[in-house]
Amino acid sequence: MVPNHSSAAKAVNYLQTRHRFHWGEAIPWILAILVFYFLPGYRLLATQILVMIIFALSLDLIVGYAGIISLGHTAFFGTGAYITALLATNNIPDPIIGLIAAAFGAAILGFLSGWVLLRTTGLTLLVLTMAVTIMLAELANDFDEITGGFDGINFTNSDIFGLIELDQLWYSSSYIYVLIVLFLSFLFIRTIIYAPFGRMLIGIRENPRRMSAIGTPVHQRQVIVYVVSAAIAGIAGALWVQVQGNVTTEVYAFELSGDVLIMLILGGTGRLYGAFLGATVFKILENVTEQVLGTDQPYWQFAIGLVLILTVLFARRGLFGIFEDLGNKWKERGQ
Amino acid sequence: MSDAVLETKNLNKNFGALAVAQDINFSLNPGARHAIIGPNGAGKTTLVNLLTGVLRPSAGAIFLSGEDITTMSENERVKHGIARTFQINTLFMGLTVIDNLYLAIAERFGGATEMFRPAGHHIKVQEQALHILTTLKLEENSLTVVRELSYGRQRLVELAIALALDPKVLLLDEPAAGVPSTESHIILDAVDNLPEDIAILIIEHDMDVVFRFAKRISVLVRGSIMAEGEPEEIATNPEVQAVYLGEADHV
Repeated sequence: MVPNHSSAAKAVNYLQTRHRFHWGEAIPWILAILVFYFLPGYRLLATQILVMIIFALSLDLIVGYAGIISLGHTAFFGTGAYITALLATNNIPDPIIGLIAAAFGAAILGFLSGWVLLRTTGLTLLVLTMAVTIMLAELANDFDEITGGFDGINFTNSDIFGLIELDQLWYSSSYIYVLIVLFLSFLFIRTIIYAPFGRMLIGIRENPRRMSAIGTPVHQRQVIVYVVSAAIAGIAGALWVQVQGNVTTEVYAFELSGDVLIMLILGGTGRLYGAFLGATVFKILENVTEQVLGTDQPYWQFAIGLVLILTVLFARRGLFGIFEDLGNKWKERGQ
Repeated sequence: MSDAVLETKNLNKNFGALAVAQDINFSLNPGARHAIIGPNGAGKTTLVNLLTGVLRPSAGAIFLSGEDITTMSENERVKHGIARTFQINTLFMGLTVIDNLYLAIAERFGGATEMFRPAGHHIKVQEQALHILTTLKLEENSLTVVRELSYGRQRLVELAIALALDPKVLLLDEPAAGVPSTESHIILDAVDNLPEDIAILIIEHDMDVVFRFAKRISVLVRGSIMAEGEPEEIATNPEVQAVYLGEADHV
């Protein structure tokens, strides 16, 4: 009876404590603040990384947790970006309103497309998500009097709460602004993941067949998470253009859908911090290879490709998986 | 007309020209221990899929406690009290045993869509999960990832998930299939000890299991029920012996 009792107690302890914060979770935020103070010259790059982390996190919610594979997440990124930019050029330049509108717009698109797309799975789903993005990119191209086409539209944000200007020279307030939005988005996603809803998503990823057999309306739940993910991707797109004060049809670029998926695979899917690690490594690698080897050839794509192959071969759970293994070894040694 | 929990009326299913279920009429009373036997390809798993809503019948109707559930989806039927196990393990392989149960119970309690409260605060769900694990003597494995369990113990998790749904009707699709003989007593004991008030339909190849467990047997041959009765009647039915048991004797 005694060992039974203790294994039950262990199980309860496991269920009741796993959502708690680990001290290690403070590391990325400390790093982000250190970068701000000690590497001011890299704030533009760092700001872009922060935005990409939000984008990758939104993708992780569907790919890593719910097992919905997508190569079309720029559809939501781009929609959020354009909604914000077009609001700003139409006398609604408030960045916060821009973010909220972007989230809503992307969510509506997520609902409409998700309802149909999520009836399919696997390769069909992958191709359909791609098709939606490419279609939107073409539309943005055709309606260039609205979207500005390749040249894009320039716009100015008003000050946040009428107080803080988003500066596009030193990226000081912009960086902090993006960091705060990232922090809030992260908290939101983390809360969902450890709530029953998140556990249910993992169940769908692990075995949709069984989920249906335990009474879960799988399609309906997939649409819900798709909408949430789309909204956050929309916020990422809005931030991307707000800090630059400019939007071009590039925000709908299909390549970006691939990039963000690569970031996620590099960092590790279904583990929250994979998005942080993946987006950072991807962006820095891109930057470094461009500076060292130049941009006359797409050397950075070669570099990314190489790292991706190495990750898939030797670190199936992504770079964050390596950290987890090291952490576990450390714990074993301590015991 | 009757107090059956589950009842089918002239159930038919065709895949093109192939009739895999023909005019199936049968009913399960509360607490029933009913077995369906039949040679390979007789349509036993198809029948389970029709009853659970994975497949839609081509004609006929299915009633659960008198309510017509013919057009109800699989997940709705689960909420109305039909649970099943799968012939081939269909589990959350990458999750722990307790998480497998957690998912089923959270869904039953209707809390699975909650987004802003940690799952760990669902005390009732955890109590239920532990209760079922204890009943099936799985509590030692609570924190084991299902993939790492032996096949026999994975079969127990199949059963545990189905029980976690608190079913009125439980469909067991070859519960002991694939389990090595050294482990099969674990799963058979568990089946023997299932709560008496649940109506159980068991699909089984193994005659020892059938005659040990069932109080009533239906013989399914090429999609239709050829004979139905008490185990002794079935065992002595010459037609059944010719088609099914006789075959087995020749092997």
